[in-house]
Amino acid sequence: MFDDPCIAAALRAYVLETAPVLAICLDANLCVADANPQARHVLASVAFGRPLAEQIVDFDRTLDLPLLIKQSGVVHRLTLSTISGIPETLCFRFFPLSGGTLVLASLDFQEQQKLREEVMGLNQELNNLTRQLHQANAELRDLNQLKNQFLGMAAHDLRNPLGLIMNYSEFVLDEADELSSEHREFLQICLTAAVRMMQLIDGFLDVSVIESGKLRLDLAPARVQDILAGVEPIARLVAEKKKITLLLDVADTTRPLRVDAVKLQQVLLNLLGNAVQHSVAGQRVWLSVRWEAQSLVFAVRDEGQGIAPDDQKRLFTAFGRGGNRKTAGERSTGLGLTIARLIVEAHGGRIWVESTPGAGSTFLFSVPIHEQPQIQEPRNS
Amino acid sequence: MIQPATQPFDFETAYQCYLDGLLTNNREQCRLTFEQWLASNAELRTLYEDLVRRSLYEVGDLWERGKISVATEHIATAINESLLNLTYPRLFAQPRNGKSAMVTCMSNEYHQIGAKMVADIFELHGWRGYFLGANTPVKAVMALITEKRPDVIALSAAVIFSLDSLIRSATEIRSTFPDVPILVGGQAFRWGGRERIEHLPGVSCMMTLSELELWMKDSEKHV
Repeated sequence: MFDDPCIAAALRAYVLETAPVLAICLDANLCVADANPQARHVLASVAFGRPLAEQIVDFDRTLDLPLLIKQSGVVHRLTLSTISGIPETLCFRFFPLSGGTLVLASLDFQEQQKLREEVMGLNQELNNLTRQLHQANAELRDLNQLKNQFLGMAAHDLRNPLGLIMNYSEFVLDEADELSSEHREFLQICLTAAVRMMQLIDGFLDVSVIESGKLRLDLAPARVQDILAGVEPIARLVAEKKKITLLLDVADTTRPLRVDAVKLQQVLLNLLGNAVQHSVAGQRVWLSVRWEAQSLVFAVRDEGQGIAPDDQKRLFTAFGRGGNRKTAGERSTGLGLTIARLIVEAHGGRIWVESTPGAGSTFLFSVPIHEQPQIQEPRNS
Repeated sequence: MIQPATQPFDFETAYQCYLDGLLTNNREQCRLTFEQWLASNAELRTLYEDLVRRSLYEVGDLWERGKISVATEHIATAINESLLNLTYPRLFAQPRNGKSAMVTCMSNEYHQIGAKMVADIFELHGWRGYFLGANTPVKAVMALITEKRPDVIALSAAVIFSLDSLIRSATEIRSTFPDVPILVGGQAFRWGGRERIEHLPGVSCMMTLSELELWMKDSEKHV
């Protein structure tokens, strides 16, 4: 039946023009002499007239095309260089003809199926891992919340007895004249340690309150001058104690913005305190404030020893302080910059550092300007 | 057609749009519809049942009747499964109830999406839903039961050829862990088979996610 000329012609047309089969005719020198349209789409035009072997990827140089042609009709899996530049592994069959060779190449369906199953399996695995990741994140969030609750409770319960220790230490230091100088010194050490512990507890409380989402920003219209009024005198006092000059560079202090002024003062005092702690007598610390299109940017610059790039990455995480020592042996809780970051982020802003070791550091933070709030000036009665 | 945000959400139109996206392997169309459904604030279970499960069954039927290729069916499943990831921020934000469920497909069962939805429904109700994935050997499941001590074990079979494996596994798990409830389910039970397994003590067949939710509510009453 397949001898029927109509069927033969239909089959011929199908194989040559439609079927996903590359049909290539080679001449006696095994060069590409002709190809069906499908093969022309795949082969580069330079392949025509050139040996087919040049189009076959053969890294280990073991390809013996004449031998494969002799094994007429046997399937050989070979990789063909294509016009797209992506090699394609195909099933090749060679049929020797008088004066040439017919080459039929088709997709390796088994290979395709294997690849598809592999991709599906990897896709499943990826989805499962994504699920596990979400699950683990949820668990970490729960644990973090638990940690904050614990931290908050512990810090709160420690505050009262510590307050008593501080109060009675101060009382004894003030009132007990008969104390020996040695006992007075011991008591002073106790008091200093208690003060430091209180700072640490206050830091823990701040972190636990902010991280558990209980931070309430008291947003109200405030001018830069109002914010600085609560910062500058304290910072100047601390700087002068170490013979450090505090310089201000502030643009438009009267323009209002909507922030929690007290919380921003806490951030500024922390940054200025750090700058002083890392400076030596005779050096300068700058506080500058500049307005940008979408935000107000505060910057605190010092001439200290600078911060190594690796340390910079850890600065804003709890206890992630850098390796630099304070110039006068000052102590810190290691929570200040974390609290600063959380306060700035609660405002929708960001905080960052620019520093070169040996050339000082600049700590910057920005708070977005959402609107132009009006400040009610007190009326003169 | 993707629905305009200004009109009330029409779930049937959304479903048809989603199915059309799956059958034409149009991932973007599916994603937009899925997100709209999610944003409509409908219960997550309805998204699982009325969008994902319904479309999976319909795509499966079309494949069985030779209307679509196996490749289209595979891609539709892959799209469905990857879009489930979009529910996770809501799913895993539920308060925990301290209970856990272990959900798995047994050996040679590669269709895992139904089982994953079951694990997700457990999560949605505050359970910790351990999902072990496709083609998990019973020995690995037993080792994890010993380690995690789940409050319930759920076994899924999507194709009918996996039923025997599931029944053998359930029997083995039951003999080693006589007190842990075992739930079975999946598309393989659509044409029967529950009688082959429900004679085992403490084994129940769940045909829908709503049945599973009722079982969860009931089990919470008894604790």
